[in-house]
Amino acid sequence: MSDPIHHVIIGSGSAGFGAATTLRQTDADCRITMITMDGLPFYHRYDLPQVFRGQHDWRELLDEPPSYYDEMGIQLRRRSRVVDVDGSKQLVTLAHQENVAYDNLLVCAGGRGYLPENLTEYAGLMHGLGSFEAAMRLYRDLPKGGTAIIIGGDMIGIDLALTLLDTGYNVTLIANAQTFWPHEVSDDERAQLFKALTAKGVTVFQDHRPVGVSRDDKNKSACCVMLEDGTEVAGDAVLSFCGLTSSVEFMLKAEVDIERGLLVTPELQTSNKTIWAAGDVCQIWHDQEKAYKFYHGWKHVRIMGELAARNMSGAHEIFYTDVEDRIGVDANGQINSTFWTH
Amino acid sequence: MNKAGTDIQIAICGSAGDGTIASGDIMKRAAALMGYNVIAFDVYPPEIRGFGKCISRIRISSQQAYSLKEQSDILISLNDSHTIPHVGEVRDFGAVIYDDHLVSTVAEGGHISAHINAAQVPYGFSIRQISEQATNSARSRNIVILGYVAGLYDLPNEHFRKIIEAKFAKKPQAVIDDNIKAFDAGVLVGQAVFKLDDVVVGKAGDEATGSKAVMMTGNGAVVRGFMEAEIQSYFGYPITPATSIMERLAVELPPAGGNFLQTEDEISAIAAAIGAGYTGSRAATATSGPGLALMAEMLGLGVMAEVPVVVVVSQRGGPSTGLPTKTEQSDLNLAVFGGSGDAQRIVLAPTNVEGCYRCAGMAFDIAEKYQTPVILLIDLYLSNRYETVVPSVEASFAPKPREPLKLEDHQPYKRFKFTESHISPRALPGEAGFMHTITGLEHNESGRPNDAIHMDMTIKRHEKLNTAVNYPGLNVHKRFGDEGPVDVGILGWGSTFGEILETMYEAQAEGIRCAAMKVVMLSPLPVEALKEFFADCREILVPELNYEGQFAGLVSAALGKPVTRLNRATGSPVVVKEILEEVRRLSVQSRAPLSAAE
Repeated sequence: MSDPIHHVIIGSGSAGFGAATTLRQTDADCRITMITMDGLPFYHRYDLPQVFRGQHDWRELLDEPPSYYDEMGIQLRRRSRVVDVDGSKQLVTLAHQENVAYDNLLVCAGGRGYLPENLTEYAGLMHGLGSFEAAMRLYRDLPKGGTAIIIGGDMIGIDLALTLLDTGYNVTLIANAQTFWPHEVSDDERAQLFKALTAKGVTVFQDHRPVGVSRDDKNKSACCVMLEDGTEVAGDAVLSFCGLTSSVEFMLKAEVDIERGLLVTPELQTSNKTIWAAGDVCQIWHDQEKAYKFYHGWKHVRIMGELAARNMSGAHEIFYTDVEDRIGVDANGQINSTFWTH
Repeated sequence: MNKAGTDIQIAICGSAGDGTIASGDIMKRAAALMGYNVIAFDVYPPEIRGFGKCISRIRISSQQAYSLKEQSDILISLNDSHTIPHVGEVRDFGAVIYDDHLVSTVAEGGHISAHINAAQVPYGFSIRQISEQATNSARSRNIVILGYVAGLYDLPNEHFRKIIEAKFAKKPQAVIDDNIKAFDAGVLVGQAVFKLDDVVVGKAGDEATGSKAVMMTGNGAVVRGFMEAEIQSYFGYPITPATSIMERLAVELPPAGGNFLQTEDEISAIAAAIGAGYTGSRAATATSGPGLALMAEMLGLGVMAEVPVVVVVSQRGGPSTGLPTKTEQSDLNLAVFGGSGDAQRIVLAPTNVEGCYRCAGMAFDIAEKYQTPVILLIDLYLSNRYETVVPSVEASFAPKPREPLKLEDHQPYKRFKFTESHISPRALPGEAGFMHTITGLEHNESGRPNDAIHMDMTIKRHEKLNTAVNYPGLNVHKRFGDEGPVDVGILGWGSTFGEILETMYEAQAEGIRCAAMKVVMLSPLPVEALKEFFADCREILVPELNYEGQFAGLVSAALGKPVTRLNRATGSPVVVKEILEEVRRLSVQSRAPLSAAE
């Protein structure tokens, strides 16, 4: 009796989780290993602002209970960082020096928050919202009624800003080109959205380039963002929400084509026939535009994960999306985004 | 646990040489110093040298706990290949702490993170690296992990530092400094980690009590009891798991004016102890099952010659060399019945560490009063188990002054005189006017060989023990749980009783009318108390760590009533879950209506 086929998935977000579930549904006997740096089983990152509404038990955030992984025969490797993929030997190397062999590899590593180059040296002074732990640290460090300074303001950042306002905090937004990312908005739409944010109580700085961040060593909640014109914006926590940059460093020796993300066919296969990719980490070939394109947003990501899983199991489906990409302000002054619909 | 409060169990697993047991030792002593109740048990390999598996399990409670828990809340790996089989022992939402920076590449599954299920919380950090950064050596990994736990769970650091300083007090200052540095480095890492498990370490019971509490093993408690009873002579031959009694007495007894001798074997040890006992010296030996087998003949001499002597027997898996480092309760029959002839002796089986202390302290008095060998029957699980004990101030085991014997007018001294209590006046050799003979042959009242009187003397040697079950100050039996009639009564002895008590509390919490009774005196049995207990219980369950159900057999034979046996011979302590399942089953059975035929 031959060994069951081993599918290894790097990443446990929407794409990875959707792929694992689909793989099990299409093949009852295969081995599925999901490798993630996160400490928790899958939860939707867009639910993280809920910690400010009292959601402090991570078990309540999970999409499925931990027992689901046992029931589905999915081995979940948490706190495990992939440092290398050898495409020819079909080996994944983890940071703690364990080699995991695969028959098929699906890369769903997503991306990490993009930080403008001139601010990278201040990264240690900023908070993030990339994980439950990060969200809880922000909740712990931001004093009740305090002010969060948001640089950029992609749609995750805007969602957090609105939650903070709703729950008794203040928000200062230092807008830049990534504000409202991944939506592409016109100048008129942008103006209308800023107006709506201001009406809700957000202090908006437009066209001001941040050049530095400082934090009082004694009072860690006292932060300041320096703008290019010398203005100092004071607050209690600084966060950067400037979109994502794909996490592909560990794929450099995998013998696959990489541009900004992993380049994949419309079937989500890389240039290595045993490696597939889905989600924010990949750029999909668009035949009409003759270009590789990113498709962001959790709906796209989930579709990609499930599609890649079916194709890894022998199907030949092509990525197609009719997911809307729309942002606007309704008659009540509420900002609506298809990015938030879940 | 029967009450709410802090109740966590930490397991530290590594290879011999990793400092696993030392790490567990510091953890348990620090927790005791904080005022927690602590029960701990170390498992180590049978090999004297090599890289066998070591596990230290420590239960820390703000309330009284009676046994180790089946599942740990926190598992710490100092060696993945040894720890991986134990990952399943961690409860859901408990923590697994490990080194995420191996020194060499391993194949899939070689790292512990591959075995942690989705409900357990992984905490990986570079244990080796932190140790090397702090002390230029990887040898302090076992101390780094203590710091990490203290940092992650916000435990008071000063207690750990105090214990570390005490533990390495005889080492050069640099060793102490390095260990403190390693601990502090671990604390910093632990404090920076966001805690995702739901393990809660609440306040300790009472720090003031903690400062008075003594952390002792069962063997350590035996030694303490012996020393407080002013033991004068110890003769022994090393055998696991009794050896530490001998090792401690070798250090403590001579400076206290006592005699200590390591003999060439167990036969010599018991012979010497009986000889010393004959002279009036408080004498003891300690061994395990195979040693007791060798001592059986000499014990017969002790019974026949009516010589007080104390023999500690720490049971391990048998027969023969058996399982030297695993526990078992399979020497009960040997302790109670072993040897030739009708040789009834007193057998005491304490159920916890404090019981070891009290029984050891009183054993000499009992042996002297009844002029017979007393066997203190414990097992590896109790010998090596650590518990916090607050020494009782009222306990005094020192020998009372002997009242001088008086010769009756014109009567020669009769060492084995028939009396109402069946206990004869005992003179020590050399006392003027009390010259007498002792022998292993059957003898008359004067001690001279005489086989015609065998029946009477046999009755005397048995009947004199009748009042032992009422010996003052010694709980030879004790009932717990519901008063009056109950559905299920759990009867237990020795180290198993902690799990029995935990089971009883859990069963009560489920609404089952349940009681438990511990029997400390196995010979002679407290038959009247057992009869009362049996009368109250619809069903009787006897869990014990042997295949034959030796205690169940003893009790059934004495009372002529059947019991339900739960026999386990796995080398490990019995688990609460298994006993509870049986209690549930018996509870249902006890309420079932009798059939027409019955």
